[in-house]
Amino acid sequence: MSCHVMEAQERPRDKKLKILLMGNPNVGKSVVFSKLTGLQVVSSNYAGTTVDYTLGNITFSNKEGVLIDVPGTYSLEATSEAERVAVALLEEGADLIICVLDATHLERNLDLALKLQEYPIPIVYSLNLLDVAERQGIKIDVEKLSEELGSPVIPTVAIKNKGLMELMRTAMKLSQEKKEPGPKLEDEERWKRIKEIVDKVQIQVDKELTFIEKLENWTIQPWPGIPIALLVLIASLGVVVGGGKALRAAILLPLVRQVIMPLLNKIVSLVIPAGILRNVLVGEFGIFVIGIEWPFALILPYVFLFYLVFSFLEDSGYLPRIGVLADGILRRIGIQGGNIIPIMLGYGCAVPAIIGTRAATTYKERIMVASLVSFAVPCASQSGAFFALLGDKSILALIFVYLLSILAMLTVGKIVNKVIPGKSQPMLLEVPNLLLPDKDALKKKLKIRMKHFLIDAEGPMLIGIVIAAIVAETGILNEISKLIAPFVEGWLGMPKETSLSLLLGIIRRELAVLPLLEMNLTTLQLITGAIVALFYLPCLSVFGVLVKEFSLKVALFIGLITTTSAFLLGGLFNQIGSIILGFVG
Amino acid sequence: MPLAEGRKLSIYRIEDLPDSHLLKVLGIRKGTQFIIQSKQPFKGPIVVKVGNRSIAIDYDIAKKIEVEEVA
Repeated sequence: MSCHVMEAQERPRDKKLKILLMGNPNVGKSVVFSKLTGLQVVSSNYAGTTVDYTLGNITFSNKEGVLIDVPGTYSLEATSEAERVAVALLEEGADLIICVLDATHLERNLDLALKLQEYPIPIVYSLNLLDVAERQGIKIDVEKLSEELGSPVIPTVAIKNKGLMELMRTAMKLSQEKKEPGPKLEDEERWKRIKEIVDKVQIQVDKELTFIEKLENWTIQPWPGIPIALLVLIASLGVVVGGGKALRAAILLPLVRQVIMPLLNKIVSLVIPAGILRNVLVGEFGIFVIGIEWPFALILPYVFLFYLVFSFLEDSGYLPRIGVLADGILRRIGIQGGNIIPIMLGYGCAVPAIIGTRAATTYKERIMVASLVSFAVPCASQSGAFFALLGDKSILALIFVYLLSILAMLTVGKIVNKVIPGKSQPMLLEVPNLLLPDKDALKKKLKIRMKHFLIDAEGPMLIGIVIAAIVAETGILNEISKLIAPFVEGWLGMPKETSLSLLLGIIRRELAVLPLLEMNLTTLQLITGAIVALFYLPCLSVFGVLVKEFSLKVALFIGLITTTSAFLLGGLFNQIGSIILGFVG
Repeated sequence: MPLAEGRKLSIYRIEDLPDSHLLKVLGIRKGTQFIIQSKQPFKGPIVVKVGNRSIAIDYDIAKKIEVEEVA
């Protein structure tokens, strides 16, 4: 008997059960997780690695347990960080493993299923996605599979809550039992064994292709895959921009301007006498005025809708397909197609995008994606500000700014690719099935993302707004404005109050844009302001994450390059624009 | 011939391939039969279908995988 078994036995009775939820990537593991756990889920980082995993509490027939959503892996060779974390969690020991198998890809899933048997931990298998398998003409004899594996196999359709009660019942019973570790098999032996099992338990009948299967095939072909990808992106943009605007105009702005603000104004006026302090609180740039209107009425709706759309696409299995389609082009600027996912996430917020580059790629790719995102990808907050600034006045100007950002990305990519030594990782991935995302899993993901946004972004934003209120309402701003007026007015052609944008833009990206809303700007000034804001410093949080993920040197370098290009490009645009307008006028 | 030169919708068998753990766990092994599902522009990845799984393989890796067309 190995010492692992002893440890398992010595676990105190009253302790919570420790259950590992394991499986290949994209088998619906996180759907099973979100169905089994309550509302309390925490995401945590495995010590010494860059891999996050999620924990949740479960209760079933008076027993309590912790369910650990182990990162999805194909094997346990510890060749990637995710696999190393999975192995480490297994070696720490647990009371039970719930191993999720994808019924549509049984053969591939059995590799991990058999590997797990080498550990002295009882296993229950959840044979998931059975409905999809049936549609594809795959029939699996569950009883026979259970016999072959020597452990219970519970058929489930997690997304429809089917089989989950049975899974929990079996899991709780099994967690009280002991298990001897199974024999270690060599790769070749194991694959032979897998082939045997599949031949015994699975029958595949030919069926007409379902619509989803046709769609799966179309979305991976250049034609019609690329047009479909463009349509999806345009539709997503429509939901975020259109929906955000509607939410803002119909609900949030009236609520803030007609209900909350007058109320606050009244209360403050009653308590605090007129003067500087009252102005700091409820004046034109008062803390309560912009502190509520900017984050909640202007920014929040866009951020929320962005994450809604992004999480939906992520859970549908569609994003890796865009990665495959874009690989040919992205490789020209030295990065693998899969990196389009963190770049797209950057349109939400650069912080998770930069952290997201940890996933699989080389250092060179990480630094390239991080610079692209910091340099030219406007985050959802800043986009919200752009829509507010340009959307009402000039849609063309808005499109121009976004085209410029894509052009800048390609240019920066080309340059950074030349400067940074090293190679990018070649693409080698399984394209997941397309499926309709699960509501519960989506809700949980959205909740975690919004929580991060509110904590990470709104804190610095409020600090920025307090600074804005103080410098604007006390007259300090006027002094600073005078100092940099020659540069702001002469080179950029902006009014001298723009210095407020430049000052606040250091803290948050959208704060470089929002003060422009209050000024009466010409179209030329609007676009110049937008260009400067687009390329200007990444915000304080991004700076922090760059230091943490790379180094202070890298962060300073990226900051310096972006700011220089912001003033250079903004100024050039203004100078050339003025000359052209001069001729026309 | 190298996989990179294969034609879409034709069936091939793998004769020889580089030693890569990930290729193996994805089921791309010596003797595996597959159909080329799609090829991407600008030397993008080749997507092959093994059983009912689609696997995208980088163009440079596909150059190193030797395949034979199955009649």
